Amino acid sequence: MSLVELAAALFLLCGCAFFLAGTLGLLRFPDTLSRLHALTKADNVGLLLICIGLAIQSGSLRASLQLGLVWLLALTASTVSAHLVARRAHRQSNGAGR
Amino acid sequence: MMLLAFDLLLAAGLLGLAVLVVAGPTLFVSLVAYTVFGLLMAVAWARLGAPDLALAEAAIGAGLTGAMLMLSYRRLLAIRPERTGQRLVRRSRLALPIALACTVLSAGLFMALAGLPEPQRSAGGDALAATAQSEVGNPVTAVLLLFRGYDTLLELLVLLVAWLGVAMVQAQARPSAPRPPAPVPLLDALLAAVVPGTVLVGGYLLHAGGQAPGGAFQAGAVLAAAGVLMALAGRLQPRARATPVQAGLLVLGLLVFTAAGLWPLAAGQPLLALDGLATVYAVEAAMTVSIALGLCLLFLGAAGLGSK
Repeated sequence: MSLVELAAALFLLCGCAFFLAGTLGLLRFPDTLSRLHALTKADNVGLLLICIGLAIQSGSLRASLQLGLVWLLALTASTVSAHLVARRAHRQSNGAGR
Repeated sequence: MMLLAFDLLLAAGLLGLAVLVVAGPTLFVSLVAYTVFGLLMAVAWARLGAPDLALAEAAIGAGLTGAMLMLSYRRLLAIRPERTGQRLVRRSRLALPIALACTVLSAGLFMALAGLPEPQRSAGGDALAATAQSEVGNPVTAVLLLFRGYDTLLELLVLLVAWLGVAMVQAQARPSAPRPPAPVPLLDALLAAVVPGTVLVGGYLLHAGGQAPGGAFQAGAVLAAAGVLMALAGRLQPRARATPVQAGLLVLGLLVFTAAGLWPLAAGQPLLALDGLATVYAVEAAMTVSIALGLCLLFLGAAGLGSK
């Protein structure tokens, strides 16, 4: 196994570990806000690590840029959806109703 | 080895999710399981080497249908709150025997099919050979438009009939006028970035469909997703009637396809024998518009659209 393959595998494994941690947080944390906290942070970094690992494996600039785009898009979408979920949870807990 | 493990995990996940869809503890769990099922199904299609199906499944099966089910769930909460907590199906004592019988039947069918000799000449081989002679490089598009155009034409009709059904029941399905959601600055920023990107991707899929995975259904579903996003953000509102322009766009695919299909008759060719890449693209483009608007209206459960 070459050094490049080793680095790629390391990134992929680290990414999976982040996903695992985020999922554990989603399942185990007590309320909506802390679950979001676990999920968004861990998953965004996890996806970045996996994208880096795959980019190293692909060895092409074009594929790497595409993977970067995938990460950016997922980052944008998860930021906004987490914000919306948190906003709703915050309002409900403040008794402002739906 | 790793790939086999992945495939087995995928198959087990699909089966588990399927059970959850049918026999989930609550309606909500079943809906979520169905959406995730669609996503895993898309991965399964990709693993089977069918990127066209994977794209369509991810966009329609997981994305649009999932969002539509969630919206229906919210309406159900408003109309009949008591229904949402109930179990969907009570487990019958017959469930296990029936499941076993189905397993035995499937195994028997599999054994019988596995024992059949490899056919010398199959429709798939014929289609690939005929695709090579046409100007269309993507065999899926060639099959959809050139070899079984009748089927695809009627699929457009099905979408139109579904829209008619929605237009008829919309008053009952939406008892109160929906409140427009409060403006969220972050959401507006997302829309500004994502909607143009979605249009770009839809256009690319339509263009690519001639030679590579993609096509009218995938492009239409992606465009419809942009409409759904704008509807969820309150930018697009349901209306009880379609404007003349919207009605025209809804039937555009059907009209263009029919016209392009009738044209060969004048030249002594059989019905629906589309000729040339330009015709295929014209039909696909018209279909994309109709599919996008149709899916978006089905999602909204409304006959027409209006801006805020």
